[in-house]
Amino acid sequence: MKSPAFNFSSAACSKGARHLWIVIFIAALVALPHALLAHDIPNDVTVQAFVKPEGQKLHLLLRVPLNAMRDTEFPERGTGYLDLARVDASLREAAMVWIADAVEIYENEARLPNPQILDVRASFPSDKSFASYDAAYTHVTGPSLSNDVQVYWNQVMLDVLFEYPIHSDLSRFSIHPGLARLGLQVITALRFLPPDGAVRAFEFVGDPGLVRLDPQWYQAALNFVKLGFFHILDGTDHLLFLFCLVIPFRSLRKLIPVVTSFTVAHSITLIASAYNLAPDFLWFPPLIETLIAMSIVYMALENIVGGIGVQRRWMITFGFGLVHGFGFSFALRQTLQFAGSHLLTSLLSFNIGVELGQLLVLVLLIPLLHVFFRYAVAERMGTIILSALVAHTGWHWMLDRGARLAQFRFVWPALTAAMLASAMHWLMAMLIVAALMWYVAKRWPLKFPLGQASSRDPLKISTAQVHSVPQGLETETGGEI
Amino acid sequence: MKRNLYIGLVFSTLLIALGVASTMLEKRAAVEAAGVQAPHFEVDPMWPKPLPNHWLLGMTIGVSVDAQDHIWIIHRGGSLERMENYLAANPPASECCMAAPPVLEFDEEGNLIGHWGGPGQGYDWPVSNHGITVDYKGNVWIGGNGRGAAVAPPTQAAALNESQPGGGPFNDNMVLKFTQDGKFLMQIGHPGQSKGSNDLENLKGPAKMFVDKDANELYVADGYGNHRIIVFDADSGKYKRHWGAYGHKPDDISLGPYNPDAPPAPQFRNPVHCTELANDGLLYVCDRVNDRIQVFKKDGTFVKETIIAKRTLGDGSVWDIAFSKDPQQKYIFLADGSNEKVYIILRDTLEILTSFGDGGRQPGEFYAVHSIATDSKGNIFTTETYRGQRVQKFAYKGMAPVTKKDQGVVWPKKAS
Repeated sequence: MKSPAFNFSSAACSKGARHLWIVIFIAALVALPHALLAHDIPNDVTVQAFVKPEGQKLHLLLRVPLNAMRDTEFPERGTGYLDLARVDASLREAAMVWIADAVEIYENEARLPNPQILDVRASFPSDKSFASYDAAYTHVTGPSLSNDVQVYWNQVMLDVLFEYPIHSDLSRFSIHPGLARLGLQVITALRFLPPDGAVRAFEFVGDPGLVRLDPQWYQAALNFVKLGFFHILDGTDHLLFLFCLVIPFRSLRKLIPVVTSFTVAHSITLIASAYNLAPDFLWFPPLIETLIAMSIVYMALENIVGGIGVQRRWMITFGFGLVHGFGFSFALRQTLQFAGSHLLTSLLSFNIGVELGQLLVLVLLIPLLHVFFRYAVAERMGTIILSALVAHTGWHWMLDRGARLAQFRFVWPALTAAMLASAMHWLMAMLIVAALMWYVAKRWPLKFPLGQASSRDPLKISTAQVHSVPQGLETETGGEI
Repeated sequence: MKRNLYIGLVFSTLLIALGVASTMLEKRAAVEAAGVQAPHFEVDPMWPKPLPNHWLLGMTIGVSVDAQDHIWIIHRGGSLERMENYLAANPPASECCMAAPPVLEFDEEGNLIGHWGGPGQGYDWPVSNHGITVDYKGNVWIGGNGRGAAVAPPTQAAALNESQPGGGPFNDNMVLKFTQDGKFLMQIGHPGQSKGSNDLENLKGPAKMFVDKDANELYVADGYGNHRIIVFDADSGKYKRHWGAYGHKPDDISLGPYNPDAPPAPQFRNPVHCTELANDGLLYVCDRVNDRIQVFKKDGTFVKETIIAKRTLGDGSVWDIAFSKDPQQKYIFLADGSNEKVYIILRDTLEILTSFGDGGRQPGEFYAVHSIATDSKGNIFTTETYRGQRVQKFAYKGMAPVTKKDQGVVWPKKAS
């Protein structure tokens, strides 16, 4: 079906009319960004919120900058000062349209009906009463700004107190704060105050979806399994590292010690970070990112060189696993708030998600590599080519991230007693890990080879097995027969 | 088997030794921590992010943090060298660069999110911008210290000297009030009209402002030409009161150059460079060239003073102050653009605990550190004038024992 514009360009219509439409269309395109700008969407908006269930009602107390409430006319006087005597109705309208309609609160799994506004007022941006619920409640329900105050309309904060009817304050509450439309970047700092007196703080950017304010353990677990799963699929550097691991060992059985060692290692640093045991240096994240890139380069080069390093891979993987765990922790830092009181469960669930993601990647990669080496290119050559490609990517990442790290001039920290004590703790942890590794390698030497040339050395086993392999093919470890 | 036993024994012995050593060190750390502590900072070399449009900062002579933790700075585009302005030439002489607009607003991450400023209808933009303050209602106040007539647009003006901008009598005898969008709201004083330190209508090179939210009063450090603190109603601009050093009536009799061995000067020297009101109602004033902070009650009653780096000559040591953001405002951070450091001072006793910074152009160093402000998270922001021409962030890293009187450059290295 033709659009009306095309109907216009019938034979009867002159070329000029068609050109006119084109000009109008282009003009509209050019004008569009300016029209959007004219709406003046604020760059960043910080929303402060309290959720407090109490008896058979739930209070939602919010502070939002008034300039985020677009399309609402606020009465002005003088050169644009807010007319505080006439502002109440506009504030209520803005609170309903921009907040109440956008925020969904659930009691157990049932959505609560629309709230009523108990109180609303304008405040100075410098007002500090939202530091605590009680102070904020007193402020919002207290006297409004007097009408002779001169305050420019879009520099004011809107404070509003909503009340929702609920069945019990002991129910499980969730909130979907759809406040992302208030600005280009909206940060919501929300505090949940359950009846037991605890205060649970959340901070999220944009629309976080449904946030369970007091999740059951399985809800937190499921949430974090999902996070872990998608994090590994999302993280190109972790995927490339995994890819490097797989190239020489294309069987799940042989990958078990390597992947297990990686998992144990990244779990250690991830959990340590969640309990604030990780270093807090400004240069630490760039260092970890550089090390992750280095781990990829190292693994790829090891694949190319082959030999003993590949057989001891579980050990080096353990070291790199520690590094990747810190990397995971940076990704998790913002989301741990959704764990409720189930921090450890959530961390372990995140790990499970990561493992599931890895497993999926392995299940897909192994047969693909088999097919690739069988039909496309000989194994040794294929290993070299693929690893070289990965090494190339990793090398560039390493240089980029290294350049960022190099901007930090390293100075040895002052040798304080606290610093030395912390170093001792880390040494103890490393000693325990080393002891465990030694024990594991001793106890199961076949699965976790230490690399000594012994009769149980996997190199020899694979060499022995290779006799049955047709001529021209090489070992799975990439070594020559 | 025996070998395994030995290895196990070595592991256990090492573990026990480390455990004992760390316990002893922790005890010592607790003793160290109980000593004198001060806020600890590290420069954030990644802040702010690069400016767009090939924009450059000139002398950056004001910084303020608003209630949303947005960082506002004001600078002098006119202080750039000719080559730094090649992009602004007609036709452009090169691809880079040009002066950024005078007022710039950054978010916490260091993104530039707003900019405005310059001459406009209904107000007299200063020849030489000086000082910026965002008040409790979010309004933006600007001072100035330019001399001579406001003939040339700021980008064409010659490089200005911080203390003696331009030549001739003071032009910038006014403060301006704007909204955060740059909409003009009010002007107090008029260019070239000052009749001296007891003129109730005009200022003379106002350096910095502060608005007291309890009384809605504007305090002005006045300034480069006058020798006083003057107070106005922040809405109407109506004069309230003024005073000089020690709460005396100010006069403009020349005191000659500062002499560290002479008795303390009875009047402020120029410039009276900052005024900051603490939550407990004490007003702190930077008497820059006299190397001293004077403390007053809101009514101008003198309370106390302290001398900082007494032997500092020339531009003096007391350039600007900011308070720590705890409700008690326990610490004062003092920018000293002559000795190129920031002092951390106990507000109660005015005792210097420690200082950080050093002269230089690398992150964490200073060249003429001019203005200072703190955000709600305890971070410090500084700006530099003369050829320093930048804004820096010093991230608050918690409290730490004071181990050095002068910490030097606080490069990112350790968390506390």
